[in-house]
Parts: sequence; C-alpha cells; structure tokens
Amino acid sequence: MRVGVFICHCGSNIAGTVDVARVAAEARKIPGVAFATNYMYTCSEPGQDEIKAAIKRENLDRIVVAACSPRMHENTFRKTIQKAGLNKYFLEMANIREHIAWIGNDKELNTEKAIDAVSMAIAKVMQNKPLHATSFKINKRVLVIGGGVAGMQAALDCADGGLDVVLVEKSPAVGGIMARLDKTFPTIDCSICILGPKMVDVGQHEKIKLFAYSEIEEIKGYIGNYQIKIRKKATYVDWEKCTGCGLCMEKCPSKNSYDYFNFGVAPTKAINIPFPQAIPKKAKIDPNYCRQFLKGKCGVCAKICPTGAINYEMKDEIVTEEVGAIVVATGYGLLDQNILTEYGGTRYPDVISGIQYERLLNASGPTSGHIERPSDHTEPKTIVFVSCAGSRDKSIGVPYCSGFCCMYIAKQAILTKDHIPDSQSYVFYMDIRSPGKGYDEFTRRAQEEYGAQYIRGRVSKIYPKGKKMIVRGADTLLGTQVEIEADLVVLATAAIAAEGAAEMAEKLHISYDTFGFYVESHPKLRPVETNTSGVFLAGACQGPKDIPSSVGQGSAAAAKVLSLFSRDMLESDPAIAQVNTNACVGCLKCLKTCPFQAIVEDTLRSGKKVAKVIETVCAGCGVCTSTCPCGAIQLQHFTDNQLLSEVSAICQM
Amino acid sequence: MSTEKLKEIILKVLPDVDTVIGWQEGFDKIHITPFFMKSPEDAEKAVWNSLCVQNLAAYLPSLKKKTAVIVKGCDSRTIVQYMQEGLIDRSNVVIIGIPCTGVVSVKKVLKAVDYQPIEDVKFSDEKIIIKTSKGEKTLAIADVCPDKCKTCQYPTPIVYDHLAGDPIESTKPAESVYEDIKEFEKKSLEERRDYFKNEFDKCIRCYACRNACPMCVCQDSCIAETRDPHWITQKLSSEEKMMFHMIHAVHLAGRCVECGECERVCPMDIPVAKLKKKINSEMKELFDYVPGVNPEDKPPMYTFNVEEAKIKEHKL
Amino acid sequence: MSDVGTKELRIVGFLCNWCSYGGADTAGVGRFKQPTDLRIIRVPCSGRVDPLFVVRALLTGADGVLVSGCHPRDCHYSEGNYYARRRLEMLRRLLQFMGIDEKRFHYTWVSASEGQKWQQVVTDFTKQVHELGPLHDKKEKAD
Repeated sequence: MRVGVFICHCGSNIAGTVDVARVAAEARKIPGVAFATNYMYTCSEPGQDEIKAAIKRENLDRIVVAACSPRMHENTFRKTIQKAGLNKYFLEMANIREHIAWIGNDKELNTEKAIDAVSMAIAKVMQNKPLHATSFKINKRVLVIGGGVAGMQAALDCADGGLDVVLVEKSPAVGGIMARLDKTFPTIDCSICILGPKMVDVGQHEKIKLFAYSEIEEIKGYIGNYQIKIRKKATYVDWEKCTGCGLCMEKCPSKNSYDYFNFGVAPTKAINIPFPQAIPKKAKIDPNYCRQFLKGKCGVCAKICPTGAINYEMKDEIVTEEVGAIVVATGYGLLDQNILTEYGGTRYPDVISGIQYERLLNASGPTSGHIERPSDHTEPKTIVFVSCAGSRDKSIGVPYCSGFCCMYIAKQAILTKDHIPDSQSYVFYMDIRSPGKGYDEFTRRAQEEYGAQYIRGRVSKIYPKGKKMIVRGADTLLGTQVEIEADLVVLATAAIAAEGAAEMAEKLHISYDTFGFYVESHPKLRPVETNTSGVFLAGACQGPKDIPSSVGQGSAAAAKVLSLFSRDMLESDPAIAQVNTNACVGCLKCLKTCPFQAIVEDTLRSGKKVAKVIETVCAGCGVCTSTCPCGAIQLQHFTDNQLLSEVSAICQM
Repeated sequence: MSTEKLKEIILKVLPDVDTVIGWQEGFDKIHITPFFMKSPEDAEKAVWNSLCVQNLAAYLPSLKKKTAVIVKGCDSRTIVQYMQEGLIDRSNVVIIGIPCTGVVSVKKVLKAVDYQPIEDVKFSDEKIIIKTSKGEKTLAIADVCPDKCKTCQYPTPIVYDHLAGDPIESTKPAESVYEDIKEFEKKSLEERRDYFKNEFDKCIRCYACRNACPMCVCQDSCIAETRDPHWITQKLSSEEKMMFHMIHAVHLAGRCVECGECERVCPMDIPVAKLKKKINSEMKELFDYVPGVNPEDKPPMYTFNVEEAKIKEHKL
Repeated sequence: MSDVGTKELRIVGFLCNWCSYGGADTAGVGRFKQPTDLRIIRVPCSGRVDPLFVVRALLTGADGVLVSGCHPRDCHYSEGNYYARRRLEMLRRLLQFMGIDEKRFHYTWVSASEGQKWQQVVTDFTKQVHELGPLHDKKEKAD
C-alpha cells in the first residue's frame, strides 16, 4: 500500500498555528506512507494538480489530505483523486483547521494534535475499500409543502419547467401570510393584487395538483423516490360540487366562529370561504362552531346549497403521492401575544398585533379597510407602534431579530396617515433595520413625509386609563421617560417557527435550530439545500424573511429541483451497510433497529437465514453495524475495522 | 421428586417430536449429562434430580426439527428470551416444565469432599449424601446450591406445555436478586477495578463461557475470533482479556437470563456473570425490564422511547 | 483556555457527522478556543458508536472518551441517537461498576449550530478528565 499525505497550509489559517512541515515529516515515518508533502492551498487548482501528479509519479493508491473539514472539501478531493484514476473512497481527510489550527494557539500542542489526526487518517485510509455507486431512476415529480408565496413560487417555477407538482397547503386556501397583508413595502403595492394572479395560476396550472386543507401524514423513501401520505382533512363540503357561490356562508346562523384568516379580528360564519380571492374558492365547515356538529341539528347550509355539496359525515382521507424531491415552504408563525404580559397580553382589546392591524387596513378585511378600535369601533387618532414585541428578547427565547417588522411598521404608519389624515403615529424602536433596496428611504419617508414620531427606546408597560391606553416607555436618545395616551397600540410580535415545525422536520429528517427554524446545508454556500438530499427549503421556514427573499428562495429551490431532475438517473451513495452472509447468523437484530426498514430477511440457497440490505433504502447511519453482535453487517466506509484502526492510531499504551 | 411423572410426559410427547432433550446419568454419579431421547426405551433412562443443572434450552435455536425440552424455571427464561428475539419458532418446541426448589453446584460439592473421586450419590430430603473412598458426607442442598438458586424468583417455569409436578411459589424476596451487586458496589472504585483485573487475568480465553451461554447466538462468528472485524488480538494481556469479557457483557446487555452457565463451565472460576448481572440490574432500573420473563417484551437495547423517563442528560 | 495545567491526556471523541462534527467545525470557524487533548473520530451517527469502541479506547490508552450526537428528535437518521442514548447510558453504569470512573466517559448532544456549546463541552470534559488524572500507568516511550 502506498499512501500519499498532503498537508495544507491554508495560507496562514493552518500554517499559522501548526508546523505543517513537521506534520509532513512525521507522516513520512509512518509505515505505508510513500509520500508526504505540505502545500500552500491544497484545494486550489495547482494544489489539486499536485495531488494528481504525485499519484502518477509516486504510484500512490491511498490519499490523505490534512486540511479543512471534510464537510467542506471531501467532495473536492474525492473528485481530484478520481480524476487521477483512484477510487474516490481511497481518500481520507484530517481536519486540522476547524478542529485544530483555529481552536488553539499553542503551536507545539497543535502540531502534536495534527500529527495524531494525520496518523488516524492514514490508519483509516489503509482499511478503506473501493466503493462503487449504483444508479437508480428518479421520479420527476416534486412535492411542495406550504402554499404561501415561497411555496407558490417554487411550485410555479417547477411546473413552468415542465415538472408535475404536488402542492400541499394546510389551510383551506393558498396565499399564506402575504394574502392577508394590505400593502407591501417599500412600494405600497396592493398585496393581494400582485399575489392574486399567482394564486390563480397555482389553482389553474395543469401541472400543479393542489391539496388545500391537507397535511403531510408520513414521508417515506429517499431522494428520487419518496412516498408521501397526505391527509385531506374533512371540510364537510364536497369540493367537487361546491361552486364557491357563498350562499351557505350568507345564511349560516353560527355567526361567532373564530376567523383564522383574519387572525380573530372579527368573527366569521361556521361555514365560510376564508376570503373573496381564495384559491380554491370553496367553502368549509368549522365543526367547533357549527350547530349541526355542536347541537346535532341545523342543516341550513345543506338545505340552501344549490349543488348539494354539504356532507356532515365526511371523514379525513389519506392519499398517497410519489415524488422525487421535496420543497419545504412551511412559513413561520407569530409570537403569542399572551406571553407579552407587560403589554397586557391580550387583555386589552385595543392592543393588537401587527398582522391584525394589517387586516383592519385591508379593504377586504372585516372593517372594509376602516381603521377602528376593536373595543368601541371608533376611529383612533393616536396610534402607537411597538417594534420588537418579543424579538431580540432572550428572556422569552427569541434572541433574534424578526427582520421585517421595522419595515412593515413604517408601512403601517404611512398607511395610517393615508386612512386618517389627522392621526398621529408613534413608533417605539430599538434600532431601525432597513437594509433592503429602497428600504431605508422608505422608513425615512414615514418619518419625514408622514410625520410618524420615532422614539428610540423600549416600552415598559401598557395599561388602560379611561378609554385610552397609556404607553409608558423610555426615550433613550433624550434620556427621559415618555408616556403616550394612545387610542390604539400595535405590537410587532416576533416571527417564530411555524406551529408543528419540529414534527414536520422529524418527518422530513431535516435539522432545525433551537427556535424551530430549519437548518440549511451551509449558511453561506448551500442556503436552499438541507442535510437530507432531495429536500430543499424556501421562505421563512428557514428563518424570518420578507417577501422578495421568500420569492427568491422559492425560485432558487425550484432551480435546485429542476437541475436535480435534469438527470434521468441518480447515483446512490455506496457508503451503506453490507452483509457478510458467511458471518451473519440470521438473528436479525439489525432488522429491528434499522430506522429505515432497509433490512429484510433473506434465505440463501443453502437454506441459511440471513439479513439483507435494500441498497436504495439504506441511508448509511450504521445503527445496524453497532447492533450486530458478530460484526456481519458493516457500514461501508465506517466499518468496525476502519474505526478501530483510528482508535488504535491514537490509543497506544 | 417427580421422575415418574416426568417419564410419563416424555412418553406422551415423544410421538409428536423428533427428540426429547432431558438429562441422564454421566460417567459418575455426580455428573449428569444432557440426553437426547428418541425412543420410549430412552425415556426409561431419563433422570431428574438436583444434579440436573445444565440449561438444555440452549440447544433449541440450532435444532430444525420439532423438539421437546425439559426445563427448570430458570432455564425457561432462556426460552422466553428466544421468543422475544425471534430465535425459535414456538410452535416447533414442546416445553416440559419441572418445578424446582434448587439444584446443586458440582463445583461446590467437589470442593466439600476435597475433590475425592465420587463413588455414590444419594438424596434424602433437601440433603445430598456423597460417598467417596474416605466415607460418606451429608450436605444440605441449600449449602451447595449455585448462587442463582439462593434468590430464585421462578421455581416454576414461566412457559411450558406440560408441567411435571405442582407449581411452586418463590419464597425468596424479589429485592434479594441484586443484593450481591449492591454489596459489591460498596467497594471503592479502585477495589472494583483491581478485583476485575485480578479475576479476568485468570482467563485463559478458552471461550467456554461463551460456548455455554444460551444467548451467545454468534457461535462461530464471534468477534472474539474474527479478523474482520478485528476487535481483539490474540495477545495474552490484561486488556485483551478484559476486552473479551466486555464484549460478552455488552452483547448480552438486556439479554442475559442469569442461567449461570458461564460461571458453571468456567475452568478458572472467574465470576463471569457479574458484569451481566450488573447490566441486568440497570435494565430493571432504567427500563423496568427483566430478561426472559415476558415473551411480549422487547429487549431494551433494540428499541427506544423518544422520551426516556429514567435517562437524564448528564451535566459536566 | 487551552491550558489545563498539566500534561496532555488522551481523550477520544466520537462525533456524528451531521450535528456534533458540524458543531465542532462551527466552533472552529468561530475561533472558540479549546483544550487540545481531544482527538476526534468522525462517525455518521451516534447510533454507529458501538459501546465497545469506547471500551476499546479506554482499555488501550484513552483517559477519557466523549460521544456526541444530534439532539434527541433531531437525528439526521431520525432514530440513531435514541439507540445511542440507551447503549451509552448502559455503558456508563457498567464502566463505573468495573472500576472506571464514569466521569471519564461522557455522552452529550451538540447540534451543528452550537459552536459555543461544543467549546464548553470540550473545555469542561477535558477539565473533568484532568481532575481524575491518567487512567493508565503509561510507560514512557522507549525511544
């Protein structure tokens, strides 16, 4: 065996705190090592050429690159050695940058540690076996989860690219948060006017199969071949027959249903179409409020419906769809105002959230666009906006900035002045964060043209006094306390992970952070991919985002899917479990622990019962290998012998 | 003694099975050996007494034809564990249970008679009378029983198709089972480490403990002897000996049915079962699991709960 | 921070590729200084860590062993760390029984975004092992 070892300086990143020449010199002493050198930037083109040349010149058959994290460049160097004619699994990397050079200043200790890391990689690479990928067919259909603007954009781009799209939306209509907004910053475009046509496209596109009021029940499979179980929740209205005429909604006697679309600003009917532009424009019954369900009698909608679409007996239905890739666009949620006790929680009707205010501004909202105080329906004259209502507050577990609130507050202040010219808006803010195109100019307009009073400081308390709300806070620029008698207070409640985000991540096998936002594959260079191949992210499920960013990421995710599907076959990762049928005793403990049901019982021609791995299903976790008592099932590339050789390289008494 | 009843049952099941596994007299009176009965004549030679120590259930996974096996309460746990792990087809096994009040440790008897050749053995209510050239010695069975009998919770087999005798209730308190483990844990860390080092240093790596273990399913594929994977070298060192015993213990985690065969067969008198018993006490504590008791249970190492009630995150 | 007072001890870490190895990378990128005793072995999943690797390391020269995986519910393979949790808890108790201080073995969960937590884990565990000192009477190298 002739191992070649390449120690990277990474400029001064490694060489600054590791004696790379000594590491190379020590590597040369290890039996099996035929060649060892150090190089300024091993990942650069000349660096890679150096490896290729050395493989030819020195007749090397195993390569160790000591450089940055294999999570960064393993693929780079695998391709390098493959080009030089070696099997790409004859590469091991020693991570001497992130795990050594960057975390310690003592050059002597770092160098010793780097020598150990290289020794481990050499020990392992000598146990490596050539592995070969197999190809499998891709199902060129894509699932998009979430019909907000990001999901719709992804669905439309994929569909326009010729792919069949399955779009699953858990609420009764697509549109997401954007469909609820009145105007958008910084252009003051009417939100539904620009979104509406997209919604119609989604509803009418022949390539898009829309499942509204449906949720993902189960996801099985792997990139290229997923089986998705979708729960179509019972609407109690046969959508095949419903024409969306709205007669049922008009006549329904249950007038006090919670209006999810309007965030409870005003009640709605128990049978309703969420909003006039809804796609699909179909009615659905809320059994929590419907008299037929609560009292067992009513039946008004069933009687009035001209197409006989009402079906009180309807049950949830599970349908299965097969796809090859998944775009996750499940959006975000808003902090429960009840947590903000210093602002009265939800005790004061005239302290509302930004999204509720958005509905009050909206011409198709419950007040037809007239701003009214929820308590007495009078027009407010003094309106106070409180930014960072929960955001950037460690104490309630939201240390991050919600990103878009500064902008929508400015927009709402501007719109308020348009609606009520003799009104005065006040904005309490921590910092104005307006880094987008035209954004900062927009916040200045709110102040300079529309007279919104910006007060830098936090609000400590909101309490009622007569018909007014007293907003008490600090003005940190003047160094004084301020109290404002407000008619209406609008809280920019923090953006948080969508409800059920964690459960969804578990179904998808993707990571989520402490806050429930999904984790991208690389924060800079792979912002759309997840660690699970075939699953892509779009929109605010990955972190709070404004509309243009969400749309951009939706398109980006679609581009990823389209490029994935531009191939007919995919290569499977050969680093999967393999059974040595001679050693296997057929106890099938591996079958019990496999998280992917990738192991089945097989009978050899001799009649011997053994375990068998379904190659395309195995994800390569290795739980089976550590379960098997006789070491008969080995996860390739991480076999017992490979890991033991690493242990032996550093544990010697 | 219910030998007659046992023979009756053997004769009854023989026509339905290929073999009935029981015990017969060995080369001398004190050594009882396994007996594979095929005919009614064989059945006549079957023996049941306090020297029938060997766990015959261990043969079951390797047999293909329908087999009947005679088991004591302790041995029946092996069968239950096989059922949990799907290692036998229950419909292919006929279980003849024998209620048992305790057996005799041959090692202890031989020690008591100073390793003299045995000329005869007789039983007389709860006593064993050993005759050697130096005369007769009467020993109370309770004094020469294996340790497992002292805390036996299952004098009657847990599963059986036929029972030779009336069921017996355990008279030993359940808390007593792991008392020896608790007692041992009172020793200091260093004392324990030295204890195991000294004990395992005696190991000659004959693998008798493994070969006798009914739960060591790997047989010829045991990783103590393979090169791929190469967990352990043939070097005669404390570390390698310790490693072998750790392999045995870890592979039996949540599976050891405490039949005691490993210790019975150890030629060096190493307390081989101690580590396994410790793990069992933890399985009970962590997962309320006792191996070989309920055929419906799942061995705890092959399953999990998303929330583990008893496993707390460890702080540094 | 890297100075733990005495001579380096041998600490072996088994890190799952998706979370903890990434967490250690994140710590590196953030230049979160750590003691240098730890040697990291990358495994796909904490569920790949056979407790016997830990035993092997401790028997053949390691003074401490650290296993780190994805947080429960966040396993890249969805269930691997649940098996790891049971096996490693069992092992921890067994080690203590056979006279190896349980403080020499630690298993924990660190996600790819938790660079600072990783720094803390390495720092605290290294300190803990140093407080116990070497596990073996090491012979000085002959050369």
